[in-house]
Amino acid sequence: MIFKAYLRLATVLVHSAVFVMAGGAYAEAPSIRIGAPLPLTGPLSPEGTKLKQGYDLWVQEVNAAGGISVGTDKRRVELVYYDYESNTPKAVQLAEKLVNDDKVDFMFAPFGSGSTKAASSVAEKYGIPMIASTASSVEVYDQGYKNLFGVFTANDTLTEPIAELVSKKFQNIKKVAILARNDLYPLALAQDFSKSAIKRGLEVVVFEKYAIGALDHASALTQMRAARPDWIIATGYVNDLILIRKQMADISLRAPLITMINGPAYKEFIDAVGPLSENVTSAAWWHPTAKYKGDDVFKSAENYTKLFIAKYSSDPDFTTAGGSLIGVVLQMAIEKAGTVDRAKVREVLASSKFETFFGPIAFSSVGQATSYTPPIFQIRGQKSFVVHPPEIASGELQLK
Amino acid sequence: MLVPQILANGLLLGGLYACIAVGFSLVWGVTNIINMLHGSFIVVGAYAAFFAYQTLGINPFVTLPVIAALMFGIGYLLQRTVIRRVIGATVLITLTLTFGLNLILENALLVAFKADYRKLNLAHPLGVIDVRDYVDWLDVVVPVDRLVCTLVAVILVVAVYLFLRFTNIGRAVVAVRMDGRAAALMGVEVNHIYAITFGIGAAIAGATGTLLSVIFPISPLMSSSFLGKSFVICVLGGLGSVPGVLVGGLTLGLVESFGAAIVGSEHSLTISFALLLLLMVVRPTGLMGTRAFQ
Repeated sequence: MIFKAYLRLATVLVHSAVFVMAGGAYAEAPSIRIGAPLPLTGPLSPEGTKLKQGYDLWVQEVNAAGGISVGTDKRRVELVYYDYESNTPKAVQLAEKLVNDDKVDFMFAPFGSGSTKAASSVAEKYGIPMIASTASSVEVYDQGYKNLFGVFTANDTLTEPIAELVSKKFQNIKKVAILARNDLYPLALAQDFSKSAIKRGLEVVVFEKYAIGALDHASALTQMRAARPDWIIATGYVNDLILIRKQMADISLRAPLITMINGPAYKEFIDAVGPLSENVTSAAWWHPTAKYKGDDVFKSAENYTKLFIAKYSSDPDFTTAGGSLIGVVLQMAIEKAGTVDRAKVREVLASSKFETFFGPIAFSSVGQATSYTPPIFQIRGQKSFVVHPPEIASGELQLK
Repeated sequence: MLVPQILANGLLLGGLYACIAVGFSLVWGVTNIINMLHGSFIVVGAYAAFFAYQTLGINPFVTLPVIAALMFGIGYLLQRTVIRRVIGATVLITLTLTFGLNLILENALLVAFKADYRKLNLAHPLGVIDVRDYVDWLDVVVPVDRLVCTLVAVILVVAVYLFLRFTNIGRAVVAVRMDGRAAALMGVEVNHIYAITFGIGAAIAGATGTLLSVIFPISPLMSSSFLGKSFVICVLGGLGSVPGVLVGGLTLGLVESFGAAIVGSEHSLTISFALLLLLMVVRPTGLMGTRAFQ
């Protein structure tokens, strides 16, 4: 009996607590809810964790400033996220759930080109603006969708400037060897590299693909060594590139110029290969040393880096910054529209240019950013320096 | 001429493969348990070596016996407390148990170390041996760390073989494998022997992880790759045959290496699994397999 009485008392207490909390929440304008499917477990969990760090930092900064200004109101931001376990069909299901059960106002896309393309159909069906942080392949934007906006420029905006820089600066670089992960984005990127090189009169002497999950690259690298290339290009993700760089040293494969994408932009790469990272060049959509200034909550790349290090005790990279950027862009669009009306926010997104810590962001007619040149950088003394474009550079491209 | 280098690559890769699979084969062969934890044990060994080097500065080749001993203890206890309950049960039960334990261990590793890739970088890398310095016409470069791992793998395989052949406990392990009930009647303490076998499997996995930390980037997600390779090698070499692991590992290394060179690296996994299917049809006992443990 006593137990039952306690139980009843507890129930009453819980109810009144809920009532008080709800009352408190209703006293101010309701928060803006943003839905985000994230790959927090499974093979993409390193990337998913980075994206979430980027989102969380933006939410923290916005809410610390009182929220997003909507007309005369300040409205706080609430992120609703689910783990899609690096499984694209599940990302699509969760996008549906975010719309129907969680009633989110806006959406952030899942990680990468493939799952963004898949989940964007949900956003389009319900007319919800979806901003994508990490979808760079042009095929994502070829469906005529009106609600999808991607902040990464197309893959060839990474390959063209590097090839141009190399062919202008170093006439003695003639033979190119390419090793690509046999996967949508890395392979597309490698093919763009090949095109960019051939266009400038360079010769692609080896083009090898490796399987997803490969534990050994010795055969492909042996063939490369026999071709004596001047420029080695490897595409893949950070674990692939760590192993490839190590195995290049294992069989004494050397070249004056080594380019690897994506990996060297992450600090793990430099930590993992140590001195072998020397002179490796790469490109990414953002870099902590890029000297951009913006009108957003972060104000500059430098300030963003400072805030990120203070919160996570690690350096930000293009993935974390991409996560924060899509929050920034959504915030700027809502503030400019002065409303959370989805159609009006979408119009502002489609027609405006946003000056941000990430660089200037404006979207093409299909919704992909075209407004900035991704930085090219090179690692020296286990630190990386931007070498292109000149307006944000802090060093010059060197050969080994 | 690329052939000598590709041959060297294949043999060195094969040595690593043998190293990865030997503990797995022993446990499967003797206790008839498919130890799904094997890949994660390797990862645990790799992390132990990584942190020992990073925080205490101890060379992985020095920590190897310590890590092996610790892993033996863990394996022994795990067998005595949990796994012994399913000895003699059907394959599905034992598989489910170790699969579940592996899920727990893998996720614990994810929580503890995150999914970031790390790699142990020796302050003084072991470097490479350029054979051209000794033999003019032979264009082969051999990475010393892989060579050492291959040698250690061979030593481990030989040591396990000698242990089973010439020690009392080793003979008891073989006896239990042949007929557990008869062995018990002869005074062999069967549960103890099972636990020792499992402990040895874990110890070898830990030692392997230590060696691999110098070669591969490590992350909790690597365990499934190691487990997958272990399966293929055991079936290729023949279950229950310790020398078979060496043969299976080297065969797989050579096939993948030449396969990648001939038809392209992207098909090397396809080739190894095609070989596995072919062998299961033509010679289901594996290259060196026998029905009973020797």
